[in-house]
Amino acid sequence: MNTDALKDLLYKIADDQLILGHRNSEWTGFGPLLEEDIAFSSMAQDKVGQSWQIYKLLHELGESDPDTVAFMRNAEQFHNCQLVELPNGEYDFSLIRHFLFDMAEQIRFTHLASSSYEPLALLSRKIKGEIKYHTMHAKIWMKQLGSATEESILRLQNSLDYAMPYALGIFEPSKFEAELIKEDIFRGEAVVKEGWIEQISSILKETSLRMPDIKSITPVYGGRYGQHTDNLQPLLDEMSEVFKMDPTADW
Amino acid sequence: MNLKSLDPRVTRLGIDELTDTQIVEKGSLDQFETYEAFIETKEGKPFEHAGPVHAPNEEMAFLFAKEQFSRRGMFCNALCVVKTENIKVSDYTDNNEDVYNLVTNKPTGVERDSFEIFHLAKRGKQHKYEGSVMAKDYEDALAQAKEDFQSDKPVFNIWVVKSEHILASDEEDRDIWDTLKEKKYRDAIDYKAGDKIKAFKEQQA
Repeated sequence: MNTDALKDLLYKIADDQLILGHRNSEWTGFGPLLEEDIAFSSMAQDKVGQSWQIYKLLHELGESDPDTVAFMRNAEQFHNCQLVELPNGEYDFSLIRHFLFDMAEQIRFTHLASSSYEPLALLSRKIKGEIKYHTMHAKIWMKQLGSATEESILRLQNSLDYAMPYALGIFEPSKFEAELIKEDIFRGEAVVKEGWIEQISSILKETSLRMPDIKSITPVYGGRYGQHTDNLQPLLDEMSEVFKMDPTADW
Repeated sequence: MNLKSLDPRVTRLGIDELTDTQIVEKGSLDQFETYEAFIETKEGKPFEHAGPVHAPNEEMAFLFAKEQFSRRGMFCNALCVVKTENIKVSDYTDNNEDVYNLVTNKPTGVERDSFEIFHLAKRGKQHKYEGSVMAKDYEDALAQAKEDFQSDKPVFNIWVVKSEHILASDEEDRDIWDTLKEKKYRDAIDYKAGDKIKAFKEQQA
């Protein structure tokens, strides 16, 4: 098994989950209605929990322990796509990001459930149930607001157009695509992307939203190898504040 | 000056410290309608009432109810929601008097609609699913329920719901409750601070 390729894959998945989980948790107490606040916060916790599980796999492969990996790296050591680090903005953007990201996650974990790396396959089969609810949530919101009022449609459309180049960055090819595919660890970003475009398009078709013309968009790459926006470091500083003050702090 | 809060998220909102924002008065009843959620807590156990959620429609109600009432640590197999106004509530009885005794009409035998019957067998507990009946209308459903479900055990209140008004989870979506088990960090009980607070107090004394 090509361990470097495997680690590269695990880091980008875990970092995506951790950063988006943290971002989404910023809505806790600020949600548009109490029930949604609870649901969105709960899904944010799911994502952080999923990242923890994947950091544990990395630890088994010789990386530092999950806390150290999560809290002690600087922005340029993170492998998340830039989509997940963007500020929350208003709820329209957060919902669009949740929709675009989680639809991709669902396809990714469905593929990974049959990965040749057994611990990852096992974990992916467990994570799939959680993500299924996340995408159910995202799709119903798209359906609801994507055809509701002029304002809701306009807001979602603007956020969708803004998010799309970043969302395409989810599928930035890794240095190890060929190895991962050859060893049946992962079917590769291109396959996930293809399925994603198909699914996103068909869901948007049921709303008044317009699917952006993917071919004319330049994806925002770089995140997978440490190039980030100025939004990531402040997020990391805030997230790791307690840990850096006292690494032995416990509840 | 921008408002500075201990919560950095509030600080980031960039609210002017001096602005005395008037909160816009909302119209009365300016909120979504309520839906009642029922959950199946164990394989083969009847659905029982879990509580209400506010939502603009039943699909959204289902989404919200799932996270409100079937979070991790709680076993759940299935979930259904019904708009509160679609639940017909019978009279209430007390002192071991069976509410079915107050139902005096006889079932018509007209099988126009399917209705679901929920019993309150103990005051202060949840309504539990009892079974379904075919009937002409709500009143007739209650009469049919009396015939089918009345027993020695008194029932203190009955909810009658048209089957078509229920949105239930799909059998194939059961895996949304099959999640990662290591979720103790989500529960307050996992944070054992008692000893530390005691030690801190002793140190301060």
